[in-house]
Amino acid sequence: MKKNWLLLSVVLAVMFVLAACNNDGKNAEKTDDGKKDNPGQAEETKVDTTTLPMEVTNEGDVIKGGTLRVALVTDTPFKGIFSWELYEDAYDSEIMKYTTNSLFETDGDFLVTDEGIAKLEVDKDNKKAKITIQGDVKWSDGKPLTADDLIYPYEIIGHPDYEGVRYDDDFQNIVGAQEYHDGKAKTISGIKKIDEKSIEITFKKVSPAIYAVGDGLWGYAAPKHQLESIPVKDALIASDAVRKNPVTLGAFKFDKIKNGESVQLVANEYYYKGKPKVDKVVIEVVPSSSIGEAMKTGKYDIATSFPTNQYDSLKGLSNIAILGRPELAYSYLGFKVGKYDKANRKNIFNEKSKMNDVNLRQAIGYAMDIESVGEKFYQGLRVRANSLIPPVFASYYDGTLEGYHYDPEKAKELLDKAGYKDADGDGIREDKDGKKFSIRLAAMAGSDTDEAIVEYYRQNWKDVGLNVELTTGRLIEFNSFYDKVKADDPEIDMFMAAWGTGTNPSPIGLYSEGAEFNFSRYVSADLSTMLENIDSEKAMDPKYRSEAFRTWQEYMSEQATTIPTMFRTEIIPVNKRVKNFDVDYAKETLSNLQTIELTADAPIK
Amino acid sequence: MEQHNNEIVKLDNSPPTGIQVVLREFKKDKVAMFSFFGITLLIVVILVAAMFLNQEEILKIKLLERFTEPGVNGYRLGADEAGRDMLGQLVIGAKNSILIAFAITIITSVAGIALGIIMGYYGGFIDNLFMRIIDFFITLPSLMIIIVFVTIIPKYGVLELILIISLFQWMSTARLVRSKALSEGKRDYVNASKTMGTSDLAIMFKGILPNLSSILIVEVTLNFAGNVGIETGLSFLGFGLPPSTPSLGTLVNYATNPLVLSTKWWVWLPASILILILMLGINYVGQALRRAADAKQRMG
Repeated sequence: MKKNWLLLSVVLAVMFVLAACNNDGKNAEKTDDGKKDNPGQAEETKVDTTTLPMEVTNEGDVIKGGTLRVALVTDTPFKGIFSWELYEDAYDSEIMKYTTNSLFETDGDFLVTDEGIAKLEVDKDNKKAKITIQGDVKWSDGKPLTADDLIYPYEIIGHPDYEGVRYDDDFQNIVGAQEYHDGKAKTISGIKKIDEKSIEITFKKVSPAIYAVGDGLWGYAAPKHQLESIPVKDALIASDAVRKNPVTLGAFKFDKIKNGESVQLVANEYYYKGKPKVDKVVIEVVPSSSIGEAMKTGKYDIATSFPTNQYDSLKGLSNIAILGRPELAYSYLGFKVGKYDKANRKNIFNEKSKMNDVNLRQAIGYAMDIESVGEKFYQGLRVRANSLIPPVFASYYDGTLEGYHYDPEKAKELLDKAGYKDADGDGIREDKDGKKFSIRLAAMAGSDTDEAIVEYYRQNWKDVGLNVELTTGRLIEFNSFYDKVKADDPEIDMFMAAWGTGTNPSPIGLYSEGAEFNFSRYVSADLSTMLENIDSEKAMDPKYRSEAFRTWQEYMSEQATTIPTMFRTEIIPVNKRVKNFDVDYAKETLSNLQTIELTADAPIK
Repeated sequence: MEQHNNEIVKLDNSPPTGIQVVLREFKKDKVAMFSFFGITLLIVVILVAAMFLNQEEILKIKLLERFTEPGVNGYRLGADEAGRDMLGQLVIGAKNSILIAFAITIITSVAGIALGIIMGYYGGFIDNLFMRIIDFFITLPSLMIIIVFVTIIPKYGVLELILIISLFQWMSTARLVRSKALSEGKRDYVNASKTMGTSDLAIMFKGILPNLSSILIVEVTLNFAGNVGIETGLSFLGFGLPPSTPSLGTLVNYATNPLVLSTKWWVWLPASILILILMLGINYVGQALRRAADAKQRMG
């Protein structure tokens, strides 16, 4: 449940499973407009995302035991680091969902409930949180879960030799974490063991994010009895306790691991919710190009991170139920208006930068025909985004925001106003001084569809007189794309990328002055205040926080340094032999794996 | 009757010249003959048709025409997922692929022939030096290196692609020419020229080169087929032409999507067939030429 923007975005962007939500009235209206333009085709090709169910129940007698077959859709092998503290590859976390060491259960708003292994009590006046293990919980090797196991993950992440990505600003919010990391203290002074079942953590500040397991709170336990003797430096990440036989608290435990290829899990008899009814789970890597065919021929029961642009290959299959849910992510178009100062770890906004003209940025946004792209290329599985907060965060999402809908006339007007005029009559606008003007766009390589989409946007921009060229002349491979964007490559004026938001929607990690992930490098005093307000102590009042979120969304929309382009729907195909499967975030089957049952010996063909 | 006699007499008198041998070989091999005319016609039609097509118009994305079937709305070969006319793309793509292969063949042949003759003629240190360089280039996994080059150079276009591929394609020609020039350089006519004071350059390119012409024609023809393959292969992998420039390889690449492969045949099949025809045709012509150049293999 920990936020990990980049990693999530890795998977999301590569697999194109980022999701959309169509529940908002405004968006639904917009797609209707689209339909009027093109009555015939729209009807066949568009998926109404609201009709994709989140839950499926299949008829039939349940068999005893059985093996659940899961396809992990990826074109690269998974790394096989099965530790919540150490993993970096989001595919590892997909696998760990079946064996999770998660302490807390969350509800539909991604807030902690009392139903998990542990209970969270926050004392906001004293900036303290108390975590108590409820009942007798055992690890998969039969050893009891103790308060030490709750403290140990903090000691791993905070350790001076820890090289992972989770020692961040958030983590330093724990009193004493920094001293421990610098080697000045032997323990983290802010973490206290009360008794065998409970611990107390003291924070520098407490914000509402803590209920979404933010503010430095860690949502997982680590088996201290297994890991204790392994030094954190280099050895831990390579150890068998992480790679081969990790001990788990989840419904299943590791049985066989073929690194990078497949994982076999068996039921965990000590699971605190009861032993799962299914004996085994086999998770196998399947290339994205063959997953459609594999589902069709009944090789797998469930596919994770299914590529959206292959939705067509699932349509009309009688052995598959297609579930859908909004993805915790959005795509966006960002403009480079500054640089990141590595030495001082902060973003420096450059007022004189090429893209620092709000009219120009807005015009670029208005010129993009995102509506048609979502409808035609993604069959409605993606819709135009109006805000930087996905609608699934209902209490923070601002549905009234207009965003940048397709309006080329308005774009032209704005460009004229800003002084970008076609001086030499070639149909392409020149800059304010009458010199040749072209914008360099960095876009990520993926399928042919992505290429066509980028070409389509370039065509849109050309229609309003903007000459947009591709940085490097082609689409850029995923890893080098983010390297370039992160390094503020001078060849990039704007870039199309995506963020996974995690379950904590707080935008401070992506848009603040200190955030390296603030790729557009836009900084202003107003923005900083707004971001602070969202995570301030006052924001413990839900109403205040939601208001703060709205102010921020409106401000960002006006400044248009980051224009949200699409919200996404994730599709999850499920074979009909699975008795019951639910992907609703509030009552996911993946957090209640003991209930899963099968009605046939093999997936139905 | 009389004519027939004349012909025989002629043949008896002098050995057939290069062109005559080639013609006879083609007459015997009907497939090669057919291929030759077919390929020539095809290339001419493609080049001429491409001149009359408006590339910008064809590459314009029309979302309403997504995957239009062949024959509908004036799309004779249907449309791809972005509503671009496949026939137009096919012609332009074929033109691009052919011209690129042509340019690469010319560049590599000129470089290879010049180097090969110089090496073969002078021999000794120069020969040794260049042979080691060639050995070095041959050991390189050229396809991988081409891909790396293509991804790292900042400004990327058709010309750059041609130069990068050429950089790794000249070795085999150079080696072949060198071996032939080595034996040719020891012949009497070369020595005679030398004693007469003819300049080295004149001996190399006026004396030796014409004597290698038959083998060169074969080499160039087969290289051409190979270069069409390299360009389309790179584009297929996504490292060839930039996205806004169609190529046969990019068109075939659409077939990597299983959905397109199984239900939208018009997107990838025509390009695949065209590649097949081009390659087969050029190869048949090349084979016939090769036989003509080697007396042991001749059919005619």
